[in-house]
Amino acid sequence: MPMTAPELITEPDPAKVVLETRGLDFFYGETQALFGVDLAVERNRITALIGPSGCGKSTLLRAINRIYALYPGQRAEGTIRLDGEDILATTHLSALRARIGMVFQKPTPFPMSIYDNVAFGVRLADKKPKAEMDGIVEHALRRAALWDEVKDQLAKSGLGLSGGQQQRLCVARGLAVSPQVLLLDEPASALDPISTAKLEQTLFELKRDVTIVMVTHNLQQASRISDHTGFLYLGRMVEFGPTDALFSKPRSTQTRDYLTGRFG
Amino acid sequence: MASLFASAGAERQKPSEALFRFACAAAATLLMTALAGIVVSLAIGGWPAFRAFGPAFLFTATWNPVTEVYGAAGPIVGTLLTASIALGFALPLALGVAIFLVEFCPAPLAAPLAVAIELLAGIPSIVYGMWGLFVLAPWFAEHVQLPIALSTVPGSWADAFFSGTPNGANIFTAALVLAVMILPYMAAVFRELFLTVPPQVREAAYGLGCTPLEVVRSITIPSVRRGMIGVIMLGLGRALGETMAVTFIIGNAHAMPRSLFDGGATIASTIANEFTEATGALHEASLVALGLILFLMTFGVLALARTLLRTDDR
Repeated sequence: MPMTAPELITEPDPAKVVLETRGLDFFYGETQALFGVDLAVERNRITALIGPSGCGKSTLLRAINRIYALYPGQRAEGTIRLDGEDILATTHLSALRARIGMVFQKPTPFPMSIYDNVAFGVRLADKKPKAEMDGIVEHALRRAALWDEVKDQLAKSGLGLSGGQQQRLCVARGLAVSPQVLLLDEPASALDPISTAKLEQTLFELKRDVTIVMVTHNLQQASRISDHTGFLYLGRMVEFGPTDALFSKPRSTQTRDYLTGRFG
Repeated sequence: MASLFASAGAERQKPSEALFRFACAAAATLLMTALAGIVVSLAIGGWPAFRAFGPAFLFTATWNPVTEVYGAAGPIVGTLLTASIALGFALPLALGVAIFLVEFCPAPLAAPLAVAIELLAGIPSIVYGMWGLFVLAPWFAEHVQLPIALSTVPGSWADAFFSGTPNGANIFTAALVLAVMILPYMAAVFRELFLTVPPQVREAAYGLGCTPLEVVRSITIPSVRRGMIGVIMLGLGRALGETMAVTFIIGNAHAMPRSLFDGGATIASTIANEFTEATGALHEASLVALGLILFLMTFGVLALARTLLRTDDR
């Protein structure tokens, strides 16, 4: 599989930034989990978030699509902008979440057929003719590299697939609604190496039309497929930059210690 | 039996292992024996009634200790009617309560409410029966039955539902009491079921832009469909077999009920009312036969639940 994009990756170009956070604080009740986090995500790139457990990586993702709003007591302060629009100010949560897809650590297939899983999000938005829906489902499954494995069993339950297939089904489900941004929270941590490789390949090809932000515990994975990497520690963004630079010449000693396995 | 107690890995078993295995197998055997014993003794005890009346025992509604003619159709219909009406009231309410607790209830309220519901489920049935007799029945007679009786023409279609002595003791009020009884139980178990849906799956649905109604309808309920059928059947089983609360308020009439507001009887209430007074051998045999029928009905409900669960596997 391709290791890195041939082009030289630089710091995110402000003109190409689609998603950014500025001075983002996040609170679980009284406990503050994020402290003034700045993040700039460039369009059609894969941005990886790394850091030890509990550093706030997943919290940052949960802030971006405001899934935390399901739970009273959790709140975010600061700015998150998607295409210039302030996410924290919007009241149209369903519309926002349709623009920002999310794939979780554990596969979360819905209790319905493979076809319906993929069609689910599309149907929420509007009713489409069967033929058009068929096309959307096939296209999403192809992009998630799952089509060939499931094309003859679309009516079967999504719960019957293997873990790796379920995870790619969740990616397909997220893609079917054509989101601008896809958030992935350790999408490969519950998968075997072969499924992981397939998923990484999928993500790599997806970035042609989707912007991806992924949290990962796997440093090799971050260095293999991401363009930009952010290192979070104790709720702060310690270092952010092009993946190659961050891995080969970390500016911060904390980053260097983490990358060399001295903590975390 | 030997093969049951000596299976794989026997050579490295300690005596305590063998004893443990034996104790467990003995407990299971005892249970099965008790079950078989109950079925056999019910069948033997009820046999004189089945022999005397034949299949007509199931389909006639005469219940006359003086002439010694017995037919079980009245109590059978009463049992099925009260239980299914009760389920019809309790099921949507229990679902609503459980969904409110899981999806919408403000966090500080959720725990106390859940405890309160479990407390309600623990109230002895005789308390519900007293409430039904002393509170519900008089209220129902005065505010529902009387106005309806005064405003409908005798002989019209309404008789099928509303005719009957306006004293509040009838099939419908018995079903209401049953509904109130099984409601907290079903709500409590529905809540536990809904809590087993992984939060990530719900978050994933919200993450796609779902509203709470869409999450409940498309994700939460389908995820626990199997368990829900089990809860419904257990609620139905409890309603079928409930004795005291129903005996208090159903009116204890042996004839086939003529309407929903007519007095009736269930199998359990008939047995409870008459067992100590059964003098004739045929009377007693008929009551035992009723017991067997109730047993088979409950068994049938459970078997149906199992079958539905299996087809749900696909």
